[in-house]
Amino acid sequence: MERSAAGASYQRFPRVRIRELKDEYAKFELKDTDASMANALRRVMIAEVPTVAIDLVEIESNSSVLNDEFLAHRLGLIPLTSSAAMSMRFSRDCDACDGDGSCEYCSVEFHLAARATDSGQTLEVTSTKDLRSTDPKVCPVDQQREYQQALGNVDAYEPDAAGDHRGILIVKLRRGQELRLRAIARKGIGKDHAKWSPAATVTFMYEPDIRINQELMETLTLEEKQSWVESSPTKVFDIDPVTQQVTIVDPEAYTYDDEVIKKAEAMGKPGLVEINAKEDSFVFTVETTGAITAYELIMNAITVLRQKLDAVRLQDDDGDLGELGAHLIGG
Amino acid sequence: MPPATSAPDAPVAEGDAEAPPVPTYRSLAAPVSNPVDKFALLPAFLKVRGLVKEHIDSFNYFITKGIKNIVRANNRIEARSDPGIYLEYKNIYIGEPSVQVDFRVETITPHFCRLTDRTYSAPVIVDVEYTVGKTHAKHRKPSFTIGYMPIMLRSYACVLNGKDEAELARYGECPLDPGGYFIVKGTEKVILIQEQLSKNRIIIDTDNKGRVTASVTSSTHEVKSKTVICMDKEKIYLHLNQFTKPIPIIVVMKAMGIETDQEVVQMVGRDPRYGDLLYLSIQECATERIYTQQQALQYMDDKVTYAGAGNIKDGRSKLILRDVFVAHVPVNNGNFQPKCIYTAVMLRRMLDAILNSDTFDDKDYVGNKRLELSGQLVSLLFEDLFKTMNTYAVDRMNKNSDMARSSPLDFSQLIMQQDVITSGLERAISTGNWDIKRFKMHRKGVSQVLSRLSYMASLGYMTRITPQFEKTRKTSGPRALQPSQWGMLCPCDTPEGEACGLTKNLALMTHVTTDQEEGPLRNLCFSLGVEDLSLLSGEEIHAPGSFLVMFNGLILGKHRQPQRFANNMRTFRRSGKIGEFVSVFVNEKQHCIHIASDGGRVCRPLIIADKGRSRVKEHHMKELRDGIRSFDDFLRDGLIEYLDVNEENNALIALYEHVDQDGVQRSSITHIEIEPMTILGVVAGLIPYPHHNQSPRNTYQCAMGKQAMGNIAYNQLFRADSLLYLLVYAQRPLLTTKTIELVGYDKLGAGQNATVAVMSYSGYDIEDAIVMNKSSLDRGFGRCIAMKKYTVTSEKYGDGISDRIAKPQRDRDGVLIKQNMRALDEDGFVAPGQIIRNHDIYVNKQTPKVTNRTPGTALTDRDYRDSPAVYKGVDGETTVVDRVMLCSDTNDKLTIKCIIRHTRRPEVGDKFSSRHGQKGVCGTIVQQEDFPFSEKGICPDLIMNPHGFPSRMTIGKMIELLGGKAGVSCGRFHYGSIFGEPSGNADKVEDISHTLVKHGFSYSGKDFLYSGILGHPLQAYVFMGPIYYQKLKHMVLDKMHARASGPRVLLTRQPTEGRSRDGGLRLGEMERDCLIAYGASMLIFERLLLSSDPYQVQVCRKCGLLGYYNYKLKTSFCSMCKNGENMAKMRMPYACKLLFQELQSMNVVPRLTLTEG
Repeated sequence: MERSAAGASYQRFPRVRIRELKDEYAKFELKDTDASMANALRRVMIAEVPTVAIDLVEIESNSSVLNDEFLAHRLGLIPLTSSAAMSMRFSRDCDACDGDGSCEYCSVEFHLAARATDSGQTLEVTSTKDLRSTDPKVCPVDQQREYQQALGNVDAYEPDAAGDHRGILIVKLRRGQELRLRAIARKGIGKDHAKWSPAATVTFMYEPDIRINQELMETLTLEEKQSWVESSPTKVFDIDPVTQQVTIVDPEAYTYDDEVIKKAEAMGKPGLVEINAKEDSFVFTVETTGAITAYELIMNAITVLRQKLDAVRLQDDDGDLGELGAHLIGG
Repeated sequence: MPPATSAPDAPVAEGDAEAPPVPTYRSLAAPVSNPVDKFALLPAFLKVRGLVKEHIDSFNYFITKGIKNIVRANNRIEARSDPGIYLEYKNIYIGEPSVQVDFRVETITPHFCRLTDRTYSAPVIVDVEYTVGKTHAKHRKPSFTIGYMPIMLRSYACVLNGKDEAELARYGECPLDPGGYFIVKGTEKVILIQEQLSKNRIIIDTDNKGRVTASVTSSTHEVKSKTVICMDKEKIYLHLNQFTKPIPIIVVMKAMGIETDQEVVQMVGRDPRYGDLLYLSIQECATERIYTQQQALQYMDDKVTYAGAGNIKDGRSKLILRDVFVAHVPVNNGNFQPKCIYTAVMLRRMLDAILNSDTFDDKDYVGNKRLELSGQLVSLLFEDLFKTMNTYAVDRMNKNSDMARSSPLDFSQLIMQQDVITSGLERAISTGNWDIKRFKMHRKGVSQVLSRLSYMASLGYMTRITPQFEKTRKTSGPRALQPSQWGMLCPCDTPEGEACGLTKNLALMTHVTTDQEEGPLRNLCFSLGVEDLSLLSGEEIHAPGSFLVMFNGLILGKHRQPQRFANNMRTFRRSGKIGEFVSVFVNEKQHCIHIASDGGRVCRPLIIADKGRSRVKEHHMKELRDGIRSFDDFLRDGLIEYLDVNEENNALIALYEHVDQDGVQRSSITHIEIEPMTILGVVAGLIPYPHHNQSPRNTYQCAMGKQAMGNIAYNQLFRADSLLYLLVYAQRPLLTTKTIELVGYDKLGAGQNATVAVMSYSGYDIEDAIVMNKSSLDRGFGRCIAMKKYTVTSEKYGDGISDRIAKPQRDRDGVLIKQNMRALDEDGFVAPGQIIRNHDIYVNKQTPKVTNRTPGTALTDRDYRDSPAVYKGVDGETTVVDRVMLCSDTNDKLTIKCIIRHTRRPEVGDKFSSRHGQKGVCGTIVQQEDFPFSEKGICPDLIMNPHGFPSRMTIGKMIELLGGKAGVSCGRFHYGSIFGEPSGNADKVEDISHTLVKHGFSYSGKDFLYSGILGHPLQAYVFMGPIYYQKLKHMVLDKMHARASGPRVLLTRQPTEGRSRDGGLRLGEMERDCLIAYGASMLIFERLLLSSDPYQVQVCRKCGLLGYYNYKLKTSFCSMCKNGENMAKMRMPYACKLLFQELQSMNVVPRLTLTEG
């Protein structure tokens, strides 16, 4: 921020290093900043990055075992591809349709019609097979995936690329049962309802700084080393098979459980290892529901965060919060 | 200490004949190497037995045997005037459940009855033979219906009996529903198990004055009486209602023909101490100068309370002695000897108790209790009604023949006329009032509505035992946990409050016996060497070394080798020659053997062990697993037997075969438990690790598990209960117990596995409140459906006039004339799927204004007025019509049932609970991003305050959390059955910790969490993992209430009371006291005088009475003084004015003396 209060600048230049980036998964480091920044980013990713989700369901016919509200709730929770969500309008401030959610700028219509015919088999109504969108940009995520696969764009990182893609089960129908409905999907944010949250998992950890006192370590026998290494519930340390030295395999696997430190103390060798959290370095893990890609999620989150900060600045300027300010305070 | 609880290691079967190959010394010393996994016996047991076998067995016994016995005992009725006119019942049986519709018989199913408010009943059919007319022509009429009897579900008479799952589904029935209840007028009724003291058994006790008494409640088919023998001032007396005064017991003995004192003493026993104690009683008899039977009877005749017809007291006492005094001991051909011996035994037991206070009986001892089941209760009722019907028929016949002798009536026309049996049974079961004058029985609340709040609630009802005595007594004795309850009655499941410890529940494997035929057993006893009582002299009875043999409370005789006799009896039982529920109990203290075959004893199956070695071997279990062997085969082959509470005292029962029992000789073990977890009942069985909890917590959970929402039955969506709470996404618990799987709780769960973080958060979690994650709620956690039934009946007024259902009225443009008709369909009923709001009409009913029309004219639209059924719901909530059902009720009126559904998400104030008696309300709902999270990305569903743990000591909950966490990590459901660790039915904490560590968690279940608000790490590790949470039925939406102004009561003009009437919130006495103490006088004034029922009255200053205001003349007037001169206006509460007027009406004149203000 350019205008700090007491003249001294607290400006820092955070760095991001992406370690892993897949469609629905990302792992990156955020360095040279503090917890408030990292947490703000996390919070925005969970609660304020907009997506599209089914919000209004008109049921024409439902003779399934699940009742109307039950189905509506299930439909709402189906993640829809929402790359276009950032450019869409919120229904509540859409000028084209007075917010009743029926125009192309703020809503997408879905249709579902399924009927179990005379066969004795139960019919599974799923998000891939039966939920039809009127806008190709917004459709259930597994439909999109199927489509991409059909085109040959297989996500190489996706472990279950060839796995089953039956989609999300909405309801099972027995012979003679029928489900027909019209649904309208709207843009929204996770703060209002979890169905609009694009994030499945957003979490970060302080990067641990692990230093083994190798001198002290050498006083241990191999068995002691082994038992010390195994005292950590996660695989952080290992013993080099050649040198028989204890090495750090994966510092990030460390869960700050202090087990190794306690073990060292119990073995009568305090100070065997020193572990500190780096206060300015964070390892983020982001998983999305598939509504948007992990990359989009991060980028959109930064955009939203920037907008919010802009609002704060505006508030500083004229003291008038406007709608954005109200949004900022109360949500 | 009851004598029955004699030392468990009493010598049993030592070196007796039928022991299998005598084990060598080496085989005894060798440890049992491979323990047999006997768990499979438990599901096998429940498979053949079901969860409520005792109810069904008892009802089956009644409809197959009991009812026939009743009819056989009263099988002939004849006219008084002419014994040639008679009717004889040849046979009786129960038909198929059916109804008679327009002279056509239609079979019915239970579900049909539930939906149409009918009684699920079957015809009681008799084959009769009777004579007709003066010629006495014999007629036979087979299959004559004398009434309809409600049928217990899944009994022999029920259509569901022996049906498999697919067939049950076709009947609309849930396969997990246990049956055992009745459907009366559409509501499901359970006849609760009644607990009472054993009949026909001698109970030695002290009365409230500290006197030693011996009492017997005799009960036979003919008479019921209570005999008390009591020691007062060292003299022994008989107390009997038929005598005004206590009768000295020696007099009674003399009256029964034992004239010499020597004989009395011999009968009681020759021990000089008995003689010493009897001395004063004998002396008293002598001072009264009673030496002969005649004198004794005369003495007693004087003391008879009620002289028979003609006020003849002579000979009454002999009749009383014969018929009332210990009435269950028969007197054949005037032979009083059995009664004398019985009395002597009573005396002996009393004197024993005086000499040795150990031998007192304990009334609370379960072996001295009998459980009365639905079959017995219905049987009593039926017997009474059957007799009533017959006497009624006889009366009618007598009256008829007395009057005219004209029309040749026959009994077959008379017996079925009044519907006595049908309506009598139906009324008793539907009201629960068992009023049977014939048996002096007046019980209320015998049957109760089966709660369908949750699956557990309905199961809990089926195993409940209600006490007979009043609940108000503060005594702790009957409420305390009895050691003899082990394995029979659940130690946890009892309500809190007044019925605590009195209302009990059966344990998982308990069986309640039904009556068994006595004759063959009695003969068997004699063949096995019992010396008949009648052949013994008084001296011989108590000969040392020989034991008395008591059979169902009667003295059969004595046996010189009691242990051998008992073993023989047991061998017969194990080989299936006599019923498996016959109990053989050697009472060392009383020197008797008790053989019992009566109904109502609680018993449970145990594995027989020979010198500590289980008879059930691995190959048996393999056969069971392979399906070749069933539980009954185990019984028949003598591997398993049922022991009742008394016989358990002759057994030494090991928990496990292979575990060394400290200080107990292995060879003295006679039985081995099938599974220790069967100590608990059904409801307590769903608690994981209950043996790690503080005991009352398990009791609390037993009460709360019945209030938890979840799935109720497979047919829940087709049921029409008046109120139904369902959970949208009910889950099976991650941490299960074996009981859960056995009773089907895993299929009909009532809760969800929530990830719980035990930490403090936000301050909205004090006092057990929980903080909930909003995103979890969005995703469906705790979401529930409340379905409520609204019933409308279309009345009939006769003459073809009835209510009608009208179309929603519209104006010319087709717009509804009333907004609140929007939910209606064109047929005038609300449409399924429609959203219905407060004040909407759900049935557009119209009622005729006139009920007597002029003949020939049809009623027009103008003759009807609207009487719509208006929905009363909560404003602002969206409720939806689920179903509309039409049916005609038993009176042929149209009944409309609308089921309205409301889906609710949890809100602040809703009540939740874990399975460890830890309830709490939702304190606040917090956004997910504010919730703490772990570096794995796990975010809890709810946060529980750690202060809930130290004082509650629910370690089980902590282990549940650990086990649940390990369970989700490794993908295996973990177990937490009670006492399950040694047998592998519960996972050990150590193993759980290993699993946790293997999956990258801390062994302690604690996680390193970051604050969701600030992003910094939390100071402490947080104990986090999944715990099964139940949503309880108490929800804010149903309870919240506030009012500013609203309706008032007509009489007092004060605000109405109660939420249902939109009542006011009362400022009561204590609140008033607070205000007085505080000094807020104006506030009191306003609350009491203005806010409630202010009223202005005209008071006459002269006479002080109330006058009135004449609005025409605009003056006030005193009707007493007949003028309006001294009138004053005054304000007072309307209730005050009402009081004055009411006093006046009672001739009390309240006068107001006014002073100028």
